[in-house]
Amino acid sequence: MRKKIIERTGVIRDYDLHSGSVRFWYAAIYVLCAIMAVFAVFPLVWVILAGFKDLKEFMSSTSIMPKNFSPAQFVKTWSQLGLAKNYLNSFISVAGSVLCALLFNGLLGYGLAILKPRGYGVVKKIIMFSLLVPATISIVPLFMNIQRLGMGNSFWPLWLSYGANAMYVVLFIQFFESLPQSMIEASRIDGCSALQTFFRIVMPLSKPICAVITIFAINASWSDFLLPYLVLRGGSKQTVMVRLFVFSTEQTVNADTMMRSVVFSMIPPIILFVLFQKQLTQNNVSAGIKG
Amino acid sequence: MRRIRKHSDDNAKLMKDLRSWLIMLPGLILMAFFVWEPLLESIRMSLFKTENVELVEFIGLKNFISVIGKANFTQALINTFAYTFWSLVIGFLLPVILAMLIGETARGKGIFRTAAYLPNMLPGLAVIILWSAFFSGGKTGVLNILLGNLGIPTQTYLTKANLVIPIIITIATWKGAGATALIYMAGMAGVNTELYEAAAIDGAGVWKRVRHILIPAIKKLAGTMLILQIISVFQIMYEPMVLTKGGPDNASLSLMQLMWQYAFGGAMDYGKASAVAVIVTAILLVMTAIYSYFNRKESDWD
Repeated sequence: MRKKIIERTGVIRDYDLHSGSVRFWYAAIYVLCAIMAVFAVFPLVWVILAGFKDLKEFMSSTSIMPKNFSPAQFVKTWSQLGLAKNYLNSFISVAGSVLCALLFNGLLGYGLAILKPRGYGVVKKIIMFSLLVPATISIVPLFMNIQRLGMGNSFWPLWLSYGANAMYVVLFIQFFESLPQSMIEASRIDGCSALQTFFRIVMPLSKPICAVITIFAINASWSDFLLPYLVLRGGSKQTVMVRLFVFSTEQTVNADTMMRSVVFSMIPPIILFVLFQKQLTQNNVSAGIKG
Repeated sequence: MRRIRKHSDDNAKLMKDLRSWLIMLPGLILMAFFVWEPLLESIRMSLFKTENVELVEFIGLKNFISVIGKANFTQALINTFAYTFWSLVIGFLLPVILAMLIGETARGKGIFRTAAYLPNMLPGLAVIILWSAFFSGGKTGVLNILLGNLGIPTQTYLTKANLVIPIIITIATWKGAGATALIYMAGMAGVNTELYEAAAIDGAGVWKRVRHILIPAIKKLAGTMLILQIISVFQIMYEPMVLTKGGPDNASLSLMQLMWQYAFGGAMDYGKASAVAVIVTAILLVMTAIYSYFNRKESDWD
């Protein structure tokens, strides 16, 4: 087996470690990082452990470990609250949101980065400015518009709202601008229309950024609850997060059931994280946001 | 002949531009519907008396006067600045320090990065509910259990007016600091390690290299992160809404939460809610303008 070469990229170089005091500080850095890791993970571990407790144990036990690890409590909460239906709703909401995020923001980014028709600069500036516009600030008029159009209790406004994300547009623009222009030119010469070029050349070349935006959009739309609550409340299409929000504001469930609902709401993001942690933590795209 | 050709060229270009705009049209319509129109609409609405979704009567600045005149507005305004202040104290330098620490590790770097990023993936609402159990006041509150092991008696947390905002900011920092640290790490990775080598040969110790190479390299990024953080914390809303309902006695009520209360807290007064939204937007614009003024000034010095 080949020995893995570990590259040191920090300020401290290999030769610094000959000095005793630097070695001490280097060890201290590891200790601090380990503390940080425990601090980051402990609450998550705790809530899962708490989920195993029934109400009596949850309200009286001063131990963090549950008495037993039977999944019975989780099964009970799952069926009692009918979470399967909410899970399905969440998945439908997420799937449509991802499609809208890729298609509409992608097309807009394509226009602004590659097609560049006359006057595109103004739109690009407005989009850059929209990055600073907080989403929640206009939630009231947005909700009224949705009401006026009779789109209450429907997934459509939620899906389409992901097609209007200035940050995704900017990420697309930045990536599209780095694509080799020659390939796009070539497809034009081969007689592809602008739209065909987008679907056959530009998007397939842009898999890395599509992956990043897909992960962002999955996580954002799964976790979203303010607009979904306003649009879906009381209806049959409530998502997991909408249910959780209702539980927390109306306090209709017991504290132990609440913690298990929290665990259920975290499972899909954790799976997503485990699958894509490399892309999420090592991708330099996050650095692109600063620009 | 030449003239005709130029004319048809112009025509072709015009058609091409039109087709390009057509391709962007769906995205533009969505941006207009979800972002731009609501922003302008909230300004218009703030000047009207509203009944349900109808604008009934133009009343000028009466919504603003009525909103600002109430004691809960002053309280929310002060609280919102307190949130911003505490988020800078607790949450601004922490990601920089985390990024520096993780950046120095070689073995195990991947694990540290992963652990740091994990809280950011969890749904914000779930995080707040989870932490509410940590800060719950009884003997089963997790923090009380942990402190009990050290012999510290049971305390209450979220009912103390002077503690509640720092606690909410601590939770928000727990969720966001790791992800921000990764952004700083990407910035730090831009430093060529040969610079450190060269400085070391010139006799610069580790601290000197941090002060004169690493910190200058992320200064600009830190400025951007600062303004982004202020903008986002200034809009804090669901955290106090879920955790404390703005309590105790409005001690954690934020401006955006006040907006939500006007609109969806039973009163359905969308006009007054919009007035609050407009005030928040105006404050944010002023802060952004001040920032970019100083930023430009600083760039001039470079």
